Amino acid sequence: MNAVQRFIRSRVLLLTAAILIVAMCLSVFIQSQSQAALNRTVDENSRGLYDILVQAKSADTKDGGALLQPDIANGQGGISFPQLEKIRGLSGTSVAAPISLVSRVTQNLETPRLDAMDYLGYNAGLAGGATAGDPTGTDSKNWPAPESVLPAQPKKYRLTATAVSSDGVSQQTLFQTSAEGTLGKGQVIEQQTAGGKSIRIAGPGGETGIKFPAPAGGSEHNLFNLSVALPMAPQVTESVVAVDPTAERALLGSAGDFLAPLQKAPPADTRNAGAIGRYFEQLFAKSPTQQELEQGPDFMGVKLKYWAPLMTQYQQAKLSGQITDASQAIPLIVRQGTSLDLKYSVKIQEIDDSGKVVNDVGTVSRSLDKDYLPFVSKSPFALEWPGSTDHSQLLGNTGNFSQGLYQPAQWSTDFAAAPKYKDGETSANGAVGKSATPGDWVTVNKLPEKSAFGAMVDQSQRKPVDERSYRENLATGSKPATPLPMVYGTFDPAQVQKAAGDVNKLPLGGYDPAPMTLQKDASGNDTAAKGLKPSLSATGLVSQSAGAITDYYGLAAARGYDSNANVIDAIRVRASAPGNWKQAQPEVDKLAAQIRDMGLEATVVAGSAREDANIFVPGYSKDDAGKESALGTVQQSWVRQDAADAVSGSLTGTNITLLFLTLCGATLLTGASTVSYIRQRRSEAGILRAMGWTQRKIRSWVLEEFGIGAGIVAVAGIALSLLSWNLATVIVSASVLFIYCAAAYIAAQQLRHRDVVDQEPQHDERLIAVDSPLTFAYRQLVTHRFSSVALAVAVGVFGAAVGALIALLIDIPRAAGASALSGLASATIALPSVILAVSGVLVGLVLTLVTGRFELQARREQLGTLRAMGWNPDMLGQVRFFENALVGAVALILGVLGALGLGLLLAPYAALWAALAGVLAVICWIPIATKVVK
Amino acid sequence: MTDNLEPDLTATTESTDESFQTRANTIVRAADHGMPLQLSNITIRYGGDKGGAEPVTVVEDFNLTLHAGEMHCVAGRSGSGKTSILTVGAGLTLPTSGRVLWEGDSLEKMGDDEIADRRRALIGYVDQGGALIDGMSALENVLLPAVPDGEVEQRTEMAKDLLDLVGLGRRMRHRPAQLSGGERQRVAIARALILGTRVLVVDEPTASLDRTSANRIISILKDTTSDGIAVLVASHDHELVRLSDTLTELN
Repeated sequence: MNAVQRFIRSRVLLLTAAILIVAMCLSVFIQSQSQAALNRTVDENSRGLYDILVQAKSADTKDGGALLQPDIANGQGGISFPQLEKIRGLSGTSVAAPISLVSRVTQNLETPRLDAMDYLGYNAGLAGGATAGDPTGTDSKNWPAPESVLPAQPKKYRLTATAVSSDGVSQQTLFQTSAEGTLGKGQVIEQQTAGGKSIRIAGPGGETGIKFPAPAGGSEHNLFNLSVALPMAPQVTESVVAVDPTAERALLGSAGDFLAPLQKAPPADTRNAGAIGRYFEQLFAKSPTQQELEQGPDFMGVKLKYWAPLMTQYQQAKLSGQITDASQAIPLIVRQGTSLDLKYSVKIQEIDDSGKVVNDVGTVSRSLDKDYLPFVSKSPFALEWPGSTDHSQLLGNTGNFSQGLYQPAQWSTDFAAAPKYKDGETSANGAVGKSATPGDWVTVNKLPEKSAFGAMVDQSQRKPVDERSYRENLATGSKPATPLPMVYGTFDPAQVQKAAGDVNKLPLGGYDPAPMTLQKDASGNDTAAKGLKPSLSATGLVSQSAGAITDYYGLAAARGYDSNANVIDAIRVRASAPGNWKQAQPEVDKLAAQIRDMGLEATVVAGSAREDANIFVPGYSKDDAGKESALGTVQQSWVRQDAADAVSGSLTGTNITLLFLTLCGATLLTGASTVSYIRQRRSEAGILRAMGWTQRKIRSWVLEEFGIGAGIVAVAGIALSLLSWNLATVIVSASVLFIYCAAAYIAAQQLRHRDVVDQEPQHDERLIAVDSPLTFAYRQLVTHRFSSVALAVAVGVFGAAVGALIALLIDIPRAAGASALSGLASATIALPSVILAVSGVLVGLVLTLVTGRFELQARREQLGTLRAMGWNPDMLGQVRFFENALVGAVALILGVLGALGLGLLLAPYAALWAALAGVLAVICWIPIATKVVK
Repeated sequence: MTDNLEPDLTATTESTDESFQTRANTIVRAADHGMPLQLSNITIRYGGDKGGAEPVTVVEDFNLTLHAGEMHCVAGRSGSGKTSILTVGAGLTLPTSGRVLWEGDSLEKMGDDEIADRRRALIGYVDQGGALIDGMSALENVLLPAVPDGEVEQRTEMAKDLLDLVGLGRRMRHRPAQLSGGERQRVAIARALILGTRVLVVDEPTASLDRTSANRIISILKDTTSDGIAVLVASHDHELVRLSDTLTELN
């Protein structure tokens, strides 16, 4: 029988070689594949819409690896237009897109009203005239009969108007105002006037009407409704961001198409607000057609759909003398809808003379929602009396015309600076806690100072809300003047965010501030994670929507600049270098260095990723006594610099660790199988020796068999190394070969002949006497120390491997840190990592089985002997249990320490769970092993 | 019946527990029960339950009544079923059919625990080769049957006497690996006698032993019968066959 035949016959050697090769292939293949996938994921997701964030130098500038605030548009400026142009002129620059916070703009919601259907039917002397002879009008015989939700005889009603705002966590009632009076069905009254008879619409006799405090007007009957003017809604503050439309479109691609109207906006020297207003006046002097009004009049090539706000504001400003020669028009693209939660409701109750409620008519309400447009109310803020039907449609299609008839925004030049943050403690996941330092208390939720017609507003009708404000005045240009907003179009921030992507496409300077989620309350107790919505309560200051975008001429106009100034908050620069992050990194770094040479701060954000930061917000609210209380801890997505390197490095480390562990398992397995081989061959070696074989020949006999296996392992290793062309593969293959050769050497040494001398008594009296199943088990373990320790090691390895697997499963998303990129990258290699970890568990299991199998036969013979002596099954079970328990006790230490160590190495946050899993794995092994032997 | 298990108390030793005082060559009193072991219509069949292999009947309709003080030898060539009969008789395996009676009680009616208890009291089994436990001295091996009843300490002197009896008084602290085949066999016999057994079941006690060692084993076995112990031995040793009171030769 030659060496090859002997190798094949020796199942242990064959099995060992096969397991080693499989472990080698699996490890190398998975490692290389997962590494490639990891690199691909990291590279692909680490280069977003831009590579470098340029800001003015500041004392807060941090080195690489810092956690950056997501809001870069803060109104502080610091970068000039010449610097912008210089950056654009650098050879490595592809796109340089500036961004600034222009201003916070307060605007009033349109004066709300409550309409009660009070239609009088066709009347030739009234509305009938509007359709008589008009072929597009409704034939008078098709007009519905008169109807009204109001009683013929006036009844007394109480109307209670309430405005409530919520940040998603708590509600705040902004105001609640009641007014009482009698209302009834309207009637046509014919009256004698100087020129003859005339008719008018009026309430029934005895009707007092209902009037809320100023600036709300009273109630009045008109052609189709009884309309009750309601208290004004609170002011809503919107922020305006300035960008360069051309650069922004280059940055955003098609998602930036909404900015196209701004590219057509008039240049700065043609933006005189007075001139534009006069231009529109003359347009309307020519009686535009209905179609022209619906589409919007043409202004410098742009159909100005929202023309009415401009007209209204111009006329009001002109009347009040606010328009000066320096006043400029500001082009705006406004956001669609709002996440601001403001609910306005009116409760209607019928009451008797004593004020007692006799009938609850109902409550009607309306919220700001997706139909809301800053600067442009899409539809009147009207509420309908329960049971009403709107007959105003009978007048024809007036919807598009009326949508621009609104109360215009009051432009303000107040600035909002970002809150100042201070680093706090670093939490377990690596995120740095931040404390926000707020500014002064200001009173918000107040009514405008003046009504639309310049009259003073009664501020006493609602209770102002104190709010923490981050507003700071910025000393700006020398010629502040009332600007004139021109609304060109709308944009959907959700679409922009969608186009920007999740991980790193738009990490800084999005149009919407990064949302915040409340994690802990003011007492530090965990709360159900809840996103904070902007509201008119204090929370509104935590998250404030960007209401509009303008261009840089608009920025200069808003700030009153005549010429360029250092008004740019930040510039987002995309390098012209193509390829993924790793490929482009040298060019990006070079470009960043050039920008820094200009005296600006250039932060390389390529390679960064979102990361959640915990921020404690103090002084969030104040009670009537003036006592401040904190909001608690909120979580917000910030940006971790150099996350790509950290993720790649950390996960690569994890991968290599797993690879190493698998090899360790393979080494132990080889050791165990070698022991098995030695046991098998020892008797054969004795026979051969008796046949006259020399020690050298027996060693050659053993080494030949191992040599076959080593050759196969070597061939496999070389083939794998050549295929993968990877240093790690070469190292792994060489390691495995070395392990195998070491095993061969040990086997050859162990099969050497040793003379056994029958000495005098060797029994150690210090041994514990065998008088119970426990002491019997102990004696057996002591007698077979090598096997016992080998089994304990095997079980310990198994426990440690289970712990490592659990640690990985628990902590894979956080294996490389807390950033969004690490989560994505970890997900990419999650499966390979788990496969490697499961491989480790399987190796541990096989090791346990192989090692346990050595002793199984011997144990069974022993138990058979004890049974023949009359030991009952229960005692035999105890023997086996105690044996396994004692082995398990040693294995428990090894398993726990191993699992803990692996847990700390792979996933520190899951180390304790890993240790627990190791304990459970070992504990579970004890009864299973006991059962197997039975 | 318990009385029958107690050793003769006439010997004088240094033991403090007088109930276990022994004297050499007198191990137990003869059993009161005349027929401690009966095998009735025993058939032993192996295989045939899986894979379609033909079942092999090694013993068919075998009967044996073993009397106290009698040495019965089961002889036959290898594979004839000698060991099977012994393991069935010792209650270590169950026959395919037939009844095994210990002192008139059928094993069929006993559970595993009861069989173990009865075996401990009644039968001493000596495996081929001795089947000593590694890591334990000859003395500890002899005392192993006393562990379940917690009588290790009480039986220690008796165990030493037994080892003296089988000629291993000076080897009682040696471990199995340090003993020869014949010595291991003698330790196993001593172990089988430690609890005052009434039936000694011995499998091939002289196989692979030299004549001198074999004769010594045979002598020990023969001596035990004089104390009323029944011996069931499987062997093809001519000397052992010659000295047996009764013989069953298997085909």
